[in-house]
Amino acid sequence: MKRLAALVAASLLAASCGGDEDGAGSDLEGITVFAAASLTEVFQEIAPDVTFNFAGSDELATQIREGAPADVYAAAGPRYPDELFEEGLLEEPQIFATNRLVLIVPADNPAGIESVEDLLADGVKLVVGAEGVPIGDYTRTVLENMGMTDVLDNVASNEEDVKGVVGKITSGAADAGFVYVTDATAAGDGVEAIELPEAAQAVVQYPIAVVVDSGKAEAAREFVDLILGEDGREALADAGFGPP
Amino acid sequence: MRRAFDVVFAVAAGLVLAFLLLPILALFIRVAPADLLDALWSEVALDALWVSLKTGLIAHVFVLLVGTPAAYFLATKRFRGRGVLITLVELPLVLPPAVAGIALLALFSRRGLLGEELYALGIKVPLTQAAVVMAVTFVAMPFYVRQAIASFETVDPALIEASRTLGASPKRTFWRIALPLSATGLGAGSALAWARGTGEFGATIMFAGSLQGVTQTMPLAIYAQLGLDQDIAIAIGALLVLVSLTVLLSVKLLPSWTRLTSISYISSAPSGSSSS
Repeated sequence: MKRLAALVAASLLAASCGGDEDGAGSDLEGITVFAAASLTEVFQEIAPDVTFNFAGSDELATQIREGAPADVYAAAGPRYPDELFEEGLLEEPQIFATNRLVLIVPADNPAGIESVEDLLADGVKLVVGAEGVPIGDYTRTVLENMGMTDVLDNVASNEEDVKGVVGKITSGAADAGFVYVTDATAAGDGVEAIELPEAAQAVVQYPIAVVVDSGKAEAAREFVDLILGEDGREALADAGFGPP
Repeated sequence: MRRAFDVVFAVAAGLVLAFLLLPILALFIRVAPADLLDALWSEVALDALWVSLKTGLIAHVFVLLVGTPAAYFLATKRFRGRGVLITLVELPLVLPPAVAGIALLALFSRRGLLGEELYALGIKVPLTQAAVVMAVTFVAMPFYVRQAIASFETVDPALIEASRTLGASPKRTFWRIALPLSATGLGAGSALAWARGTGEFGATIMFAGSLQGVTQTMPLAIYAQLGLDQDIAIAIGALLVLVSLTVLLSVKLLPSWTRLTSISYISSAPSGSSSS
């Protein structure tokens, strides 16, 4: 029963992604890459022909456990790739990039937030990642490092991935949110980023690995090599990611 | 030839049933019933149930209190642009919920059409429980109003006329004739609006966000728990299936139930108005 359900889910996903080998272009065209939401812009730039499924790393891990047709998994933290590796669902993950957190506010900064301390003020609407989602866990780590967990009392929404946090800021629904510096860069003029103390930063590592059940392991490895290689490094650096 | 025709159509019917029911069956089989109940007693699930009930109830009261007179007005008055107005009221029925979410943001967020003035007054709607109520009302209202207009339109105008010539006021005619005779349709519309409101997801997550115990309704909790504790996600899902089934059954059974009561209303209406 469980297997049937997974099969149905998998085929539906395959149908909705529409990833199919036409033979045209590179081998990469036929593969499906499950990647953390924070990688949206940079991965699409590195490999525009690949079919991507961007979401929170935790959600992607759940989908892979359910048998969704992923060929590569790239996450915003080692927790889920390590779990899947131990479960035999993933080949050994390799770190390909790092990131750091910033606080973002809407460009016109209506709540007048200049620092994390300002988030303690009454009525500030703060948006963070949910617990269990990498950006949510990193945010809580940073706040613990700063001794500022009280600001979590002003949380108005726990988002399921980092793009959800960005969206709440750019739409003007919230006053401030914690995201990766790369998302702040990608959001452009819509947001203003406030740096956090270096000493308080969380270790944000991005592992990537081929999915064991991938029917296109060769092309999948090619994609991993592309990300780890010079072109990948360069694009990641341009987008604001740190070296592994 | 005819036989082959029947077989093909029967197979199609079987496929439709299997496609619609197997996933729901899988939901109930996946987790043992005892574990389902345990998961439902978790704080996340209970909080979500409470938020859904509270916001759903407030939204529903609003839908009934405002929607009923609005529907009666649209059903009984003839004026230019009435058809356009009814179509506009129905628009949210076919609107993707995500559009509803971003539209509500465009109106109420800080940079929104009304937002600037509202924020100046200290009224910040997005990411609050009020935002959940608004999102639910927005998507549920048309279900009720549409059904209510149709129900009021089927009331025999001769009965309304008779009530008026017998000296009953428009108000009394509404309460004693139009409302009881439309009760079945209004009940069905009310149930469908409740079901749609309970299932609201897209507009809520965009406009109200997701905060446990405040804005995290049952559908949002399913989404949030998928990667954390799937048993809870499935338990809430199973509960929502039961709620939906109850709504559906009540819509199906309502007509036969109200047919009995509305007859007694009709027979009592004339005597009621003659005594006034």
